[in-house]
Amino acid sequence: MHMFGYRLKCLARDREVVFWTLIFPLILATMFHFAFDQLMGRQEAFSPIGVAVVASDAYQQNITFRQALGAISEPSGSQLIELAVTDEREAFRLLEDGAVAGVITVGDHVGLTVSQSGIEQSILKAVLDEYTHKYATVTGILRANPAVAGELIRELGQTRSYTQQASFSSAQPDTALNFFYALIAMTCLYGGFWGLRNTTDMQADLSAQAARRSVAPTHKLVVVLYDSAAALTISLAEVAVLLAYLMLVLRVSFGNEVWYVLLTSLVGCIAGVSLGAFIGTYVRKSESAKTGILIGTSLTMSFLAGLMIGTMKDMVARKAPVLSYINPAALITDAFYSLYIFESHRRFFLNIGLLLLISSSMCILSFLRLRRDRYAGL
Amino acid sequence: MLVSVHNLVKRYGDLLALDHFNLEVGEGEILGLLGPNGSGKTTTINCVLSLLTYDKGVIEVFGRPMAPDAYESKRNIGVVMQNVAVFQELRVDENIDYFCGMYVHDAKTRRRLVDEAIDFVGLSEFRKFYPKKLSGGLLRRLNIACGIAHKPRLIFMDEPTVAVDPQSRNKILEGIRELNRQGATVVYTSHYMEEVDQLCTRIVIMDKGKTLAAGTKEELKAMINDGETISVELYVLQPDDVAHIRQMPHVTRAEYADSHLTIHYDGGQHNLLNLLDYLRSRDLSFGRVFSEQPTLNDVFLEITGRQLRD
Repeated sequence: MHMFGYRLKCLARDREVVFWTLIFPLILATMFHFAFDQLMGRQEAFSPIGVAVVASDAYQQNITFRQALGAISEPSGSQLIELAVTDEREAFRLLEDGAVAGVITVGDHVGLTVSQSGIEQSILKAVLDEYTHKYATVTGILRANPAVAGELIRELGQTRSYTQQASFSSAQPDTALNFFYALIAMTCLYGGFWGLRNTTDMQADLSAQAARRSVAPTHKLVVVLYDSAAALTISLAEVAVLLAYLMLVLRVSFGNEVWYVLLTSLVGCIAGVSLGAFIGTYVRKSESAKTGILIGTSLTMSFLAGLMIGTMKDMVARKAPVLSYINPAALITDAFYSLYIFESHRRFFLNIGLLLLISSSMCILSFLRLRRDRYAGL
Repeated sequence: MLVSVHNLVKRYGDLLALDHFNLEVGEGEILGLLGPNGSGKTTTINCVLSLLTYDKGVIEVFGRPMAPDAYESKRNIGVVMQNVAVFQELRVDENIDYFCGMYVHDAKTRRRLVDEAIDFVGLSEFRKFYPKKLSGGLLRRLNIACGIAHKPRLIFMDEPTVAVDPQSRNKILEGIRELNRQGATVVYTSHYMEEVDQLCTRIVIMDKGKTLAAGTKEELKAMINDGETISVELYVLQPDDVAHIRQMPHVTRAEYADSHLTIHYDGGQHNLLNLLDYLRSRDLSFGRVFSEQPTLNDVFLEITGRQLRD
């Protein structure tokens, strides 16, 4: 406990690394939250679309059309348009001023004039197209078979859907969640900084502190275990802070299975620490070069898991599926996502199993190198 | 013998760092390993500590073969590294406690040892400081404390006073004497002959991985032809007087230039008294008088033709 406690202090007081492994992910999470709120328009409310109608003789005589417009402009919770019936000159003046999104003119056909293209203009066009289509259908049917008028009027009031939505779970798929899950995966992999630091402090040819530790009467395995436990503890604590921030402050949903979320975080941190230890042990370059390689590797893995482009994960799964099975970031991301979406845990445990396999391989390979007791040169 | 090194050979690629090097360290002594930079001092220490591989040779510590897993021997060894080996993120007391904890597991004993170590190196008022706040000299003291807190029987100190202020240097040297008085055997490496001269009971002079000479400082100085050197400020001195002085007992050479008379002796006692008696008998006025004993640098110079500090 003595060695573990001091090792934990040593790592936790490394402010530079703590910034990149804890504060930076929190900043990114906050930025994601605000960015996705803007893009998805989750907080937007629908306002009735302003439209002007030219009060021509043809409009006054087209009772059907006037009734249709009246139904969708009636003040209620489902009001679609705000109608202004006026003369032609005033109507186009309103359009020019931007007070209305379009001008409806009634003649032989119903026409729509707009000054720009946008969502409101598209909605107006869709409404008029729907009216025109239905009017043509009804008049055609009545011309051919006037006896069905009553039944036709009843059917017109109903809408039928011929597809049924089936869900794997009660949760709604949300592509924005992929970004948050990839961010957690990146944070887990950033535990590699601690793993890398540990290897520097264990190899006598890399630091004087390691040389002093090497001449002490303590087995190398003991040193490795205590240092790794400390690195894992701090990495897990940082991920826990991030998870708490996401769940409690930013209200990101992980479903209802908190213990599985924690398990994923634990296994993800093991993967991160062992990745850092592996790079620190086998890359025989300066410490700054190793740090660069670790950052590059973590970011590349996170990118392929969808950190920067939301659809990247699916693209990789389709075009190069093997990468999805060996990329720790993809495995972590998919573990979170499968917890959220699927009722069954089969896919979840597959991801966890693969992560543990990759982590233990890196740990074993690292220890085989670290247990070396003597060096050719210091 | 506490340490026995026999026929040690170590190569770094094509460079032969240790060339069939032998070393023995007796219990209770302060052994100085003296040599210029690159002579193999640190390599020797690191081989003895089982940090380095070596090509040939036998190393024993406390009568047992030394190996990375010789934990019983390691328990009684303390090391003060050439490079400061402390953690920047731990305070002074935490660093000492951490490293002491690798040797002493009982918390109560360790607390006492840590306090003693802090007092010993004079860092009591700095115990809550972080290493980056310490001067070079204080950092070296911390480095020493981390190596000796567990009260080892055998201490290796590899150039512990490099880049250290004079006050800290004196404190360190006095501390080493005290450790020796308390029973520790010290192997001290340095390229500062003054420290080795001042501190060590026995000295090994090495260069290019070989032992050049070994013995006490008196034995080493006796190896060379040069003994005492006396310099006198003399404003007037006739050639006859110089010739007479050259004939005095134990004088190997005498020169008079720029109002300075310099005389080299190959031994003898009371050389200065005899010289001054002669000058007075000739009514010769003289100014300042200097007498120097031979140094280890003189020994090294005579053996190798080079200065200790290049």
